[in-house]
Amino acid sequence: MDESVPLKVLIADDNQSDRLILSAIVKKMGHTVFLAEDGLEAVEHFQSDKPDIILLDVMMPNMNGQEAARKIKELAGEDMVPIIFLTSLQDAQDLAACLDSGGDDFLSKPYNKIILQAKINAFSRMRLMNSTLQQQRNVIRANNEHMLHEQQVARAVYDNVAHAGCLDLPNLQHLLSPFSVFNGDVLLAARKPSGSLHILLGDFTGHGLPAAIGAMPLAEIFYGMTAKGFNMVDIIREVNVKLKTILPVGYFCCACMLNLNFRQKEAEVWMGGLPDFYLYRAASRAVEKVPSTHLPLGVLSSQAFDATVRILPMDIGDKFYMWSDGIIEARNDDGDLFGEQRLYDVFVQNKQPDRIFQEIIDRVTTFSGDSGKDDDTTLLEVTMVSEDDIGQAAIDLESGAVVGPTDWRMSYCLRGETLKSFNPLPVMLNILNDVPALRNLSGQMYTIMAELYSNAFEHGVLGLQSDLKSDADGFAKYYAERQAAMDTMESGSVQFDFDLVPHNGGGKLTILVTDSGPGFDYHSKINNIEARSASSTQPQSGYCGRGIPLIQTLCDSIQYKGEGNQVEVVLSWPADEV
Amino acid sequence: MSHISTAEIEELKLIMEDGFTDLIDAFVTDSENKLEQLQAALQANNPSAVRELAHSLKGASGNISAQPLADIYRQIEKIGKEGSTDGVAQLLDQAHNEFSAVKNALENL
Repeated sequence: MDESVPLKVLIADDNQSDRLILSAIVKKMGHTVFLAEDGLEAVEHFQSDKPDIILLDVMMPNMNGQEAARKIKELAGEDMVPIIFLTSLQDAQDLAACLDSGGDDFLSKPYNKIILQAKINAFSRMRLMNSTLQQQRNVIRANNEHMLHEQQVARAVYDNVAHAGCLDLPNLQHLLSPFSVFNGDVLLAARKPSGSLHILLGDFTGHGLPAAIGAMPLAEIFYGMTAKGFNMVDIIREVNVKLKTILPVGYFCCACMLNLNFRQKEAEVWMGGLPDFYLYRAASRAVEKVPSTHLPLGVLSSQAFDATVRILPMDIGDKFYMWSDGIIEARNDDGDLFGEQRLYDVFVQNKQPDRIFQEIIDRVTTFSGDSGKDDDTTLLEVTMVSEDDIGQAAIDLESGAVVGPTDWRMSYCLRGETLKSFNPLPVMLNILNDVPALRNLSGQMYTIMAELYSNAFEHGVLGLQSDLKSDADGFAKYYAERQAAMDTMESGSVQFDFDLVPHNGGGKLTILVTDSGPGFDYHSKINNIEARSASSTQPQSGYCGRGIPLIQTLCDSIQYKGEGNQVEVVLSWPADEV
Repeated sequence: MSHISTAEIEELKLIMEDGFTDLIDAFVTDSENKLEQLQAALQANNPSAVRELAHSLKGASGNISAQPLADIYRQIEKIGKEGSTDGVAQLLDQAHNEFSAVKNALENL
């Protein structure tokens, strides 16, 4: 402690001899002295000279020492300005009153030089300590404000990621915890070009920003691949690899991914590390528990990762529920957990299915009571509906150049084992999306391509008849046969040939699909295509599928070629109106 | 009892150095002024003024180690504090005498 720092000392006393003696003592210590003769002057000098320490006589005219002390302490505010009363008072109450008024110590008469010096030094140390604390406090405060601001920015970015997508679809209800930036909850929903709905609920380990950061790459992969038509299995695999790569050891993401297929009335489910979710059956009002069968994402390497999905048939009105553990771990004022049993009870006691979602929220809110400020609930309900009710997918592919390739040809052929296990559609669709004019027709292009591909593969290569695909039972049998045929298939191929040329200011695309099958006698079937589009329930052999009317409306022409194992589709578009 | 303390005066000289004479002059002038005011306050029968003046004189005397003088002022102050002026006249006379003796002692340092 540096006691040689010269201080500014204010000496206020109405007695000249006191002023003279004290001045002499204090100046000898190396300090600077300011003098005042009464309380008023003391206050004035405090404001103008800004002394570090004040020696204040108690009894003074115009304003006494106690009054002056009060005023000075008020003016000093947060800063510490020690006041030492100069007094010959003996009475304990009088002395106490001095301290109460703001004084910090006494110096009694006659003045003892040694004691005065010791007191000034002691207070000087205290002043310095106070000043240091203030500075440290200011630094901490500034840092804290900075951090809060950063968190707000992070939150805004996070909300754009975690809140985007089509969570506002009519068959979805959701609640995302307000603490999702800090508890690592993520809720994503997006539709594939084919119309299916992907949903992902993620619960990252840990808290705070480290938990939330993993959501960025996860969301990007989810939205990007879904928009391009990739399968859920491919997406979940990709996400796992990404998270395993970037997350530190001990960090992972418990997740549930769902693929709702409205055409086939079924859901594919992958769950890792989460509590049981519920599937509510509208007809029987029963609740099926769907457990996690995998480890969380980001734990296993690619080779060890198991992307096996479970298939759940869902009738219209059936509802799937998913939540993060914030619900189960919600506490009431007594510290009890909400728990799985109470959650299950909501379903059991419910009378109206479309109120289940709200009843869950209400039950948790009531349970949490006053501690509801820790409302950490992430919850989603998705209902199976008909394709018509949910409508087409509006694919928004913002990436992509304004100008694209306008004159090219491409051939893509899948053979043998690859044909069995690999879906070529996302890759090809990606290439077609480079053509700006086709980007807007992404959904329709996907349907056309899917139709052409499934016909080429299933009817051409595998030799399946399409009659079966006319009702729900038929579908099941059909897919069983399809699986059997694939298991026994030894060789085969499907080839796509694309030819894009400029045409009348716009463009023209010719797609030729060739399969390795024997073909069929298509000349007699041409008329059947028109007849079939009128009534889709009539079983037909040969060319079948919902995509045909669509292809017909969109394309300039569709015709069989070769042995019937080739289909050529042509579509054109006019010049852009800029 | 001696009117001032030699030891304390020496200490004071060390503290004041060249300012010692000024201090003594200030003490003498201030005391003479205040004694007059004290007289007036007594005649006006003003106990609080008596108290304040006596308090100030007491302090100043104590500062230059004139302990007996300081003690007389202390007694005057006490009477004034009690709201009276009874007996102040005699004490004031004593003060005058003692003050003269102190002045003498200071001149002969």
